[in-house]
Amino acid sequence: MIRSSELDPGFLQEVMAIPGGENLLHCWSCGTCAATCLVRRYDPSFNPRLILRKAGIGMRQEVLSSREIWLCSACDACYPRCPQEIHISEVMRAIRTIAIRDGYAPPGPSAEVDSALCSGCAVCTRACPYGAIDRVPVIVDGLERMIAQVDPNTCMACGICVAACPSGSISLEAVRNEELLTRMSAGGWLAGQSQPEGGKPRILAFVCQWSMRSDAEWAEVEAMQDDSLRVVNLPCSGRVDPALVLLALAEGADGVLVVGCGEGECHYKRGTYLGRGKVALLRSVLEQTGIGMERVRFVELEALQRGALPALIADMAAALGQPARVSG
Amino acid sequence: MEKLKLAVYWASSCGGCDISLVELGEHLLELARVADIVFWPCAMDFKYADVEAMPDGHIDVTLFNGAIRTDEDAHIAHLLRAKSRVLIAYGSCATEGCIPALANIKGADHALARAAFGEPTTDNPGGTMFQGRYAMPEGVLTLPVLGTQVRTLSQVVPVQYSIPGCPPSHEQVWQALNAVIEGRLPEPGGLLGVDARTVCDQCPRVREGKIRVERFLRPHEVIPDPERCLLEQGLVCAGPATHAGCGALCVKAGMPCRGCYGAPDGILDQGAELLDAIVAGMAGESDEEIRRVVSTIVDPVGTFYRFSLAASLLHGLKTSPLESGATCETQRIPGGREGDVA
Ligand code: SF4
Ligand code: SF4
Ligand code: SF4
Ligand code: SF4
Ligand code: SF4
Repeated sequence: MIRSSELDPGFLQEVMAIPGGENLLHCWSCGTCAATCLVRRYDPSFNPRLILRKAGIGMRQEVLSSREIWLCSACDACYPRCPQEIHISEVMRAIRTIAIRDGYAPPGPSAEVDSALCSGCAVCTRACPYGAIDRVPVIVDGLERMIAQVDPNTCMACGICVAACPSGSISLEAVRNEELLTRMSAGGWLAGQSQPEGGKPRILAFVCQWSMRSDAEWAEVEAMQDDSLRVVNLPCSGRVDPALVLLALAEGADGVLVVGCGEGECHYKRGTYLGRGKVALLRSVLEQTGIGMERVRFVELEALQRGALPALIADMAAALGQPARVSG
Repeated sequence: MEKLKLAVYWASSCGGCDISLVELGEHLLELARVADIVFWPCAMDFKYADVEAMPDGHIDVTLFNGAIRTDEDAHIAHLLRAKSRVLIAYGSCATEGCIPALANIKGADHALARAAFGEPTTDNPGGTMFQGRYAMPEGVLTLPVLGTQVRTLSQVVPVQYSIPGCPPSHEQVWQALNAVIEGRLPEPGGLLGVDARTVCDQCPRVREGKIRVERFLRPHEVIPDPERCLLEQGLVCAGPATHAGCGALCVKAGMPCRGCYGAPDGILDQGAELLDAIVAGMAGESDEEIRRVVSTIVDPVGTFYRFSLAASLLHGLKTSPLESGATCETQRIPGGREGDVA
């Protein structure tokens, strides 16, 4: 039930006053965005149309306090489909800006820069799909330096910058390098014997969280884990770290599989393309050194392709086949 | 006060590291006041027998430049380790393999064949190949034997410190030598002669920050803008993934950093970090577009691992598990002896 006494007719104007929020007025509530939304495919409680509608009629308190406004990953899959050309993720951002102003905090972590290490190289500012990072003057050890700074309202926690920063100056809770390494090696998996005689090739799979549609699917894949398979999930395949891939290969994995979203389905705009680009270059490096490009592979899991991961893993294992070892 | 005993050696190197010591200029005179040079084959006449005759631990500090490529390199590394209290890997070759280690991509056989037959400047109509051993009327001549892989000094013997750089900057070297002279050396195990952070920190070039590269260029293909970040102009600049220390020498001279000061602190694999940094700065909103930009990178190993191949994770991948730990197969040269490349 909507009580008119709880409506704030000024809210529409408030959102529209924030850059990006101007177009809220034009929403017809047609629902095309909801039908397209990539997040909604995984979490039906998220409905961008409804959020825009509620904001438009002034349900200020309900909108600002809701958990949904933080769920949009600003992938912009809906933007080109909207008949009114509303940049929905920008409207969401405007709403979140007001929420932050009102004292609500983003429920999830965002990327953090260690100013004692950052060189201001600007690798991360180019890497972030959202432009959430800028270099700003900061006094460190008595000297003014240009240090990277993350806007927590724009950061979608994809982890791409964490992988990209070449000096290890950015961290993001739950997907720090050390945490990924712990998950890779838990139970001594990394120290395991590389493809024991007559045994199965050992595969480490880095899997984008969005390529699994449901908890049940995750549970199935997790249950498959044994000495020949280790699964480590990533927020996005763009978070894949070439150094961790090489480390896995050097420490006893025969192959590394990176699983990302299908073309046009990335939740972080271009994250999956960066993942593919890294894997493609890494494969040329492995080929050029005679180690063999078959040791690393990128596969895409399209949103409608369900339960396909076991087959993709088996396929890679077959391709690795018997020990394809190289010597000096 | 007794004078310090200092030694300098060159293994598989170009000689640039020795030149960087000569670049100390007048500081060499100050050095001569407090230190005796007991071994420096590039600059003065010493014989290996002179070193063999020294008691163990006789030399206070040895600056060892050059990678370990031959059995001779390995032998002298062991010898100098025994005779020196402090052994310092000096320069990129000794620290991380450097240019000589790029031969590991195709192996020692290929390198030898290329040197004997493949170089445009080689005139070898008789097809003469290097021989490890050759009998002359005056006696038998021998050449050092190549190992299958070029290695870093610390992969052969324990070292206390490394001074990176190809070659190390002489200002940094002088500071490091002062630390030696004044007994101010830090805890063993780290780098000497470097600054905090990466080359970008010392680079004066302006970074716009959001420019993504559509096509990578090699230095000979472009005259870069003198003020702007070279990476943003499409040149693969290793500055973001390279330890600071040189004062951003190359980038100030208009050349992209090639990465000779090695990985930043705590970074496992310089090449992998650079690769990621380069992809992250690529333009492209689709698989096809990114692949197109990726394909403009020529020679990925030589680009990302130009200096650090022997110290990289790839090195372990190429040598393990067949050649684990300290042993490695020796390269047989026709008619040659088997070396003791450890
Ligand atoms: S930008 Fe993406 S996540 Fe946000 S509402 Fe649109 S489709 Fe959904
Ligand atoms: S990539 Fe790392 S070092 Fe470079 S500006 Fe960003 S946080 Fe700083
Ligand atoms: S985690 Fe992703 S969205 Fe957040 S700052 Fe880093 S690259 Fe940008
Ligand atoms: S990438 Fe190269 S040119 Fe650009 S700021 Fe860093 S060192 Fe300077
Ligand atoms: S700019 Fe790079 S390649 Fe040049 S001296 Fe410095 S570290 Fe070495």
